[in-house]
Amino acid sequence: MTDDGIERVLAKSTGEVLEQMFFVRALNEPNPSPPATESQLVAEVSFEGQPSGRLGLRVNAAAARSIAADFLGEDECSLSEGQVGEVICELANIICGSVLSSVESETTFRLKSPRLLSMPEEFAAEGAVVHSVTLDRGVLGVAFSAEKPICPLAV
Amino acid sequence: MAYRILIVDDSPAMRTFVRRILDLSGFEVSNCLQACNGLEALEILQREPIDAVLTDINMPVMDGEEFLRQIQNDERLRAVPIIVVSTDGTYNRIERLLALGARGYVIKPFRPETLRLELERTLEVRCD
Repeated sequence: MTDDGIERVLAKSTGEVLEQMFFVRALNEPNPSPPATESQLVAEVSFEGQPSGRLGLRVNAAAARSIAADFLGEDECSLSEGQVGEVICELANIICGSVLSSVESETTFRLKSPRLLSMPEEFAAEGAVVHSVTLDRGVLGVAFSAEKPICPLAV
Repeated sequence: MAYRILIVDDSPAMRTFVRRILDLSGFEVSNCLQACNGLEALEILQREPIDAVLTDINMPVMDGEEFLRQIQNDERLRAVPIIVVSTDGTYNRIERLLALGARGYVIKPFRPETLRLELERTLEVRCD
């Protein structure tokens, strides 16, 4: 599968997950980049299977808090940092599962527990395919990498 | 009629979300209990009457597959409908979990009405 093909799967999965479960619609802006001055939350989900790999997710703090509030049905101000982080981990987990459900594999993928990373530069592994979307409150990026090339499921 | 639902997921955020989605979808819940893994869910099922279980697969202590095996090995619990709610939408996984006794399967991401419809189908709720 080409990098373009992987990015299309990433874009479809990210859009569907944000819309259906987080009640967030991505804005149609080309080449979004994260705010330079704002702190970022970075989450990672590793998976084992054929092939193994990882998905990284990066989002600025304001957008992360807004996403968490929508997901939990709570007021933004009432959320702890822990709750926001947990929701962002769940978001990464669901996007990763959705992407893996769209690719061919002879084995069942096993997702490890998602975790927050303290170093924003660890967002994307070397050679990862990155897809970013603009949200009302910032930018969300996902980076997907696998040990071997992957193929989309024939529909 | 309102139903007693057990939500099993190691993520507190996901449990909160599913509970919220049940409300948003219009599915009537009289009592909603929560467990963070299969073992805790089994303990609740031993002491509480539950109409349906919504369970994740990947959980520590006891995962969704082992939870389903334990349910099927227990005559008193076998009749409780289990619906898997998972990010894993691969054919192999769905087939295996249905073979283990899952009555329904909802793939994340899902819309609120999808969860409601799967519960209604599993519980054979009539919508007049």
